[in-house]
Amino acid sequence: MCVSATAKQNSTVLGPSNPDLYHGANALLAGDAEEGVRLTLIGLRYEHGGRDRLTGLSNLCAGYIMLEQLETALTYCDQVLEQNDDYWRAYSNRALAYVKLGRFEEAEQDLLRAEALSKNARTVKIVRSMLLDATDPVAPQVVIDDRRQPADDDEE
Amino acid sequence: MKSSPIQIVLLLVLGAVAIADESAEVTAVPDDSGDREPLLTVVPVYPEKARRARLEGEVQVCFNVSRTGKTSWVAVRSSTNRIFEKPSRDAVNASTYRPLAADKVLSGIKTCRTFRFHLTPVAIEMPAQAPG
Repeated sequence: MCVSATAKQNSTVLGPSNPDLYHGANALLAGDAEEGVRLTLIGLRYEHGGRDRLTGLSNLCAGYIMLEQLETALTYCDQVLEQNDDYWRAYSNRALAYVKLGRFEEAEQDLLRAEALSKNARTVKIVRSMLLDATDPVAPQVVIDDRRQPADDDEE
Repeated sequence: MKSSPIQIVLLLVLGAVAIADESAEVTAVPDDSGDREPLLTVVPVYPEKARRARLEGEVQVCFNVSRTGKTSWVAVRSSTNRIFEKPSRDAVNASTYRPLAADKVLSGIKTCRTFRFHLTPVAIEMPAQAPG
């Protein structure tokens, strides 16, 4: 479905300014990478600048990562960052692509930047953990200590 | 599940250990002086969020043990990070002790158990490439 042209012609329609980008983002969030990329590419035909274009390019980067087309993903993340080097989602997405490609030093650099821009973002934290799992894996260990502690005697 | 040597040792020491988190290595330190003997010791799940964030911690949980060996009034007494509290409480709630013999008097003293959540570095070696 291509609805951007119709939306552009009829300015009284309420809803997202670029429905293809909007539905593309929803498809990506739902895990449908192919549909998400397809709609986002259509949506980008009508965006020549501004925030929506950056959003679309960043989402394309994410979508191509989901499709495991990592080199293609990198080109879209690069385009975002050429236009706005404060776009934390693009740093996060590019870091993820680098992790998957085994380019850990570049991933670290992008993650540091993403963390500086948005230190509490959940996706950044997940990419950080993926990098750590790749470079410094850990195994959980649980110790169960039933020994009586001196303070236990206080309990009644 | 294939039992590792440490789990077999635990079976001998604690009666039985239920491993809720099969990826976690378990070490048990029994209490020789206690009047109640653990029957089923459930190991808490290492929270994935904590593992991802490389968080370690310690939780002490105190509880009553009934005559039949069931745990009750489970409460966290001390904790270094709240993320570990629910798995610790859940593990104690699911654990049991051997029933008290008919001639024994039920003690009013609470039983306490300390869980230590650690992360140990793992060294992984990549297998050699097959000759082309």
